[in-house]
Amino acid sequence: MSALLQVKQLDKHFGGLHVLKNFNMELHKGEIVGILGPNGAGKTTLFNLLTGFIPADSGEVLLRGQPIRQLKANTIVGLGMARTFQLCRPFVGLTVLENVLVGSLGPRVKTHDLGERAMQLLAQVGLADKAQQASELLSYGDLRRLEIARALATEPELLLLDEPFAGLGSSEIEALSVLIRKLHSEQHLTILLIEHKLREFMQLVSRVVAIDFGEIIAEGSPADIVKDPRVIEAYIGKQNPLNLDNHA
Amino acid sequence: MKAFKGLDTLSSFGGLVALLMLGVLPTLFTGTYLVGVLTVAAIYGIWAVSWDFMSGLTGRENFGHSLFIGVGAYAAGFLNVHFGVGPWWSLPASMLVSMLFAVVLGFPTLRLKGPYFALAMLSSAVIMQRLMLIFWEYTGGEEGIQDITPLVKNPLHYYWFVLAVLGSITLLLSWMARSRWGLILRAIRGDEATCLAAGLPITTYKIVSLVISAAFAGLGGALYAHYQLQVSPQLFAVVTSITIITMVYVGGMGTIFGPVGGALLLTVMTEGLRNFGEWRLMIYSLLLIFILFFLPNGIIAPIWQKMRNLGRPS
Repeated sequence: MSALLQVKQLDKHFGGLHVLKNFNMELHKGEIVGILGPNGAGKTTLFNLLTGFIPADSGEVLLRGQPIRQLKANTIVGLGMARTFQLCRPFVGLTVLENVLVGSLGPRVKTHDLGERAMQLLAQVGLADKAQQASELLSYGDLRRLEIARALATEPELLLLDEPFAGLGSSEIEALSVLIRKLHSEQHLTILLIEHKLREFMQLVSRVVAIDFGEIIAEGSPADIVKDPRVIEAYIGKQNPLNLDNHA
Repeated sequence: MKAFKGLDTLSSFGGLVALLMLGVLPTLFTGTYLVGVLTVAAIYGIWAVSWDFMSGLTGRENFGHSLFIGVGAYAAGFLNVHFGVGPWWSLPASMLVSMLFAVVLGFPTLRLKGPYFALAMLSSAVIMQRLMLIFWEYTGGEEGIQDITPLVKNPLHYYWFVLAVLGSITLLLSWMARSRWGLILRAIRGDEATCLAAGLPITTYKIVSLVISAAFAGLGGALYAHYQLQVSPQLFAVVTSITIITMVYVGGMGTIFGPVGGALLLTVMTEGLRNFGEWRLMIYSLLLIFILFFLPNGIIAPIWQKMRNLGRPS
């Protein structure tokens, strides 16, 4: 079975800083994979490279076997790979509903009743009652849901979530995990998500790719990753990872 | 559920009534003074709505709108005086020339971020003004081009024609602003990176919007040339662009119909203050500062919203 997304020897420097070193990974259809790494490990840079927001120095990214590294960000969305931002970026001045509508104005969406569809998406993420509100007035947790609804509006096959849990309380994290799991199981979306804390990941993903200083340091099931000495070292030196789990 | 509302019936009706009233107004007075003031106001209205469509909706402020006005007016003057082309050909020709300039300028400048688009457009207008003087053999230098044929001989009839053009442009651009196109432009104002993440080619949208904006600015330029019956490099002056931007702010940025009111208000205000002699600019400036400081959403659009809501059962 060929991979939905293949990353081959992707490399990126920011001036003298080597942020991504010869990065290789594969993502298969229907998978839900987490990228784990401490702050500054290169996770968001990886997302920006994959989605065409910043150009890579070298290497290749293949979506369904098609090379996409040279393509523009908006073209890549048209091929079925959508993303959210770590810092929520709603369209200031637009209502919640309009924010989602904008997502459905791209080339991929063939539905005619865009308004109905946008409302369905808002209902799916639990924002239907706030459709007519100004988007900049939403709470942090609601903004995250809006980000996801907007990304879903582009009708992606592959969804990239950039730290969807950052800054959320534990009940919001739980609710959002339920939503992400639903998107995966019911809509058969392939999902790649970034997180710098292990705990939120454990129940959600089937495979974890742990990175540090732009390199893969470990790869495997969440249970294996927790015990991996290199991951533990990257996070807290040489301690028991369960401490991390309790205090995170 | 409909995603896009299309034209608002009540607002369109209100606009039509306002337009008819403006058309009847000069017939109630004798003399041509009022007709002249209102014709200029209507032309400024065309420039203000065309500016608002691109810059008001996307938030990318064009400080060189006078460039499109100037090239439109000069195109009209050139064709009419130097090549003896009939005056009606000025209208499509001026639109085409302005659109051409918008394509050439839009490609490099609309990729710029932050204030650089505004600065690039401002400098382009200043450069064009200088070029008119440098190539005086062709452009007539400071004198410009004289003896342009009028489109319509009767000033009142010409005023009505300009008013009809203003009404049609406002209607068209209002409809576009409420379509998916307008939503995308407002989204660009919100966040360009998110637009890319939504799969939208933002540079294309910005360039095409600038081209549409320029087309109507150029048309207004041609109407102005056939009203003044001459064109001069002053048309390219930075102050023209600034005046238009002020009119948009006073009317209500991003509302399309608001700037028409802003143009009318400021033109009439400028004329009305003539009696104050040298105090005129002082009073004008103070009024503007007051409006911009205390009424950041402008005057015309918020008043119309209030009136609309009165008529609505709550």
